[in-house]
Amino acid sequence: MHRRDFLKFTGLASGTLALGGAAAAGYMSGTDKKGNTGWGRAPYAKDQFFNRKPFLVVSPTYEKVSTPQRIQYLDNLFRRNGELGFYIRSLGERGLEKVKEEGISSLPQELKAYYTDHPKAFEEFFLTSESAQQQRANWPEHKNRYLLTDAWSKAHASPLRGRDAFPPQPQGPPEEWDFEGVNPDPLKLKSPKHGAELIKKITHTFGATLVGVTAIKDEWVYQGILRGVGKTNFEKPAHWKNAIVFAIPHEWESFYANPTYGTSYEAYTMLRFIAGKLEAFIREIGFSSRSHVPPNSYDLIIPPLAIDAGLGEQGRHGVVITPELGANTRLAAVSTDMPLDADIPVDLGIMKFCNKCKICAEECPSGAISFDDKPTKVVRGYRRWCTDQDKCFKAWNQVATSSARGCRVCLAVCPYSRKNNWIHTFARELDPRDPTGAIASAMLAMQKQFFDYPGGSQYLPPPDGNNKTYGKAPDWLRTEEWFDF
Amino acid sequence: MFPYSTILQPLFWMSMGVLIALFFMGIKYWLADANIKMNGWKWSVLSGWFFFLALTVAAAFTLMGEGEWAAGKRFLLFFGIVLLLAGSGIWKLLKKA
Ligand code: SF4
Ligand code: SF4
Repeated sequence: MHRRDFLKFTGLASGTLALGGAAAAGYMSGTDKKGNTGWGRAPYAKDQFFNRKPFLVVSPTYEKVSTPQRIQYLDNLFRRNGELGFYIRSLGERGLEKVKEEGISSLPQELKAYYTDHPKAFEEFFLTSESAQQQRANWPEHKNRYLLTDAWSKAHASPLRGRDAFPPQPQGPPEEWDFEGVNPDPLKLKSPKHGAELIKKITHTFGATLVGVTAIKDEWVYQGILRGVGKTNFEKPAHWKNAIVFAIPHEWESFYANPTYGTSYEAYTMLRFIAGKLEAFIREIGFSSRSHVPPNSYDLIIPPLAIDAGLGEQGRHGVVITPELGANTRLAAVSTDMPLDADIPVDLGIMKFCNKCKICAEECPSGAISFDDKPTKVVRGYRRWCTDQDKCFKAWNQVATSSARGCRVCLAVCPYSRKNNWIHTFARELDPRDPTGAIASAMLAMQKQFFDYPGGSQYLPPPDGNNKTYGKAPDWLRTEEWFDF
Repeated sequence: MFPYSTILQPLFWMSMGVLIALFFMGIKYWLADANIKMNGWKWSVLSGWFFFLALTVAAAFTLMGEGEWAAGKRFLLFFGIVLLLAGSGIWKLLKKA
């Protein structure tokens, strides 16, 4: 063979091999577990890698349309259902049937007022109760298949239960509880800027992936109930000045395999540990503190605080979407009187993307997510996306789990939740920099044409669906990989 | 390619560099034998095309690595066809100009 021919064929072979190398490198980048962002994977705040500076805005992207109102505690599904459930149990064995027959007018004053304004929520409560009974009846059929995931979820839930749960529930008014154990001889903080910088670093070392700071607006404080005090109407305590808001993701592979293989408890437990440690740290350096943690130990509503703190924007599914974690963003906060420089909100084009996208609405098994082209509902003075909590909770009570431990399909299918690898990061960086919206449209077209989605009811058990999950469950949650049954 | 190896990872990218250099060395002769005279902009167009081809292959396989096999295949098919069409256009352009 001539030298020239040799070089020609070597060139061709090398080009082909280089393409093979590109395929292999791409494949490995897709499988790389480093793409599973979060849990303080990188030290010293490097997990919060997205440069928010070009996207800072004066006002957050939610739209204020009238005088804001504080959230009444019965507006919270879990508190409302807890209250109604408590009342039903107080009526004895036939309580449920009795309340169903006698209707809203038979309820105690506060519940009556709420359900008179929201009669559909009252109907959904009974539908959900029936679903819950069915879910329990179906469980023996599913329990072998989901043995590992149920055990995994219960293991994560175990630190949340009982009187010893950490951080401890407030006992007594905030003016006392939030100051318990506060260092009586604090040093002088150099400046609020130093305060914010220090507190963020510390929160990252406790395991938070994202941390932001914001001043607490009155409208983000619950009304009608105060932990440690009970039912009461109260003004925002003067020392609830700032909130440190932080986020972590769910474990990535189980999260993709929602609804049946995921659980909320693993993120909840981590958030509670971070919050509890931060609460203790802040008191040690001389300031008051109070943690607000999932599943339901809050006096503040956290998502708007996260938006104010510049962590992200609200998505159509009602959850905060952040550039690092997408919709796989679970939040908690600590309120404090420590002087802290507030962060600035961001506009990453997420709300605009949601106007077009609707994937979560199409995939929601309960029809709880709006298909409107723009947010239409005005809630407590803000026009925003608003999911139907009661419908959503019904789906929790339908999927093949041992109890209502959540669904999270809308979070898993959200295009922003894709892994932190080069293609998705490239898309996330490019889209907010494109004022024309062309990139968003192209990406959305690819999301819809290239990716498979099982479709709404398919996530439910038969006869409505087929127990589908969005992604494939990891082997460590698939019972059949480890046990004979 | 070898995200957890401190030795194989740099070796892999060095080999990729060598392969790409050999590819361009060889392609020079293919172009000469096809009577195509190359200049700066022509080399840029050709390199750009090869870059996008490699990027498409890498992106499709990244999706497959994530477990999104169907999305990876559809991506490769769609952008592969676009790149092949663009490639034949570029070939004609290189010959003509
Ligand atoms: S958690 Fe499930 S049921 Fe609830 S809104 Fe999301 S997709 Fe719908
Ligand atoms: S799935 Fe689409 S519409 Fe829903 S929150 Fe995510 S980006 Fe927005």
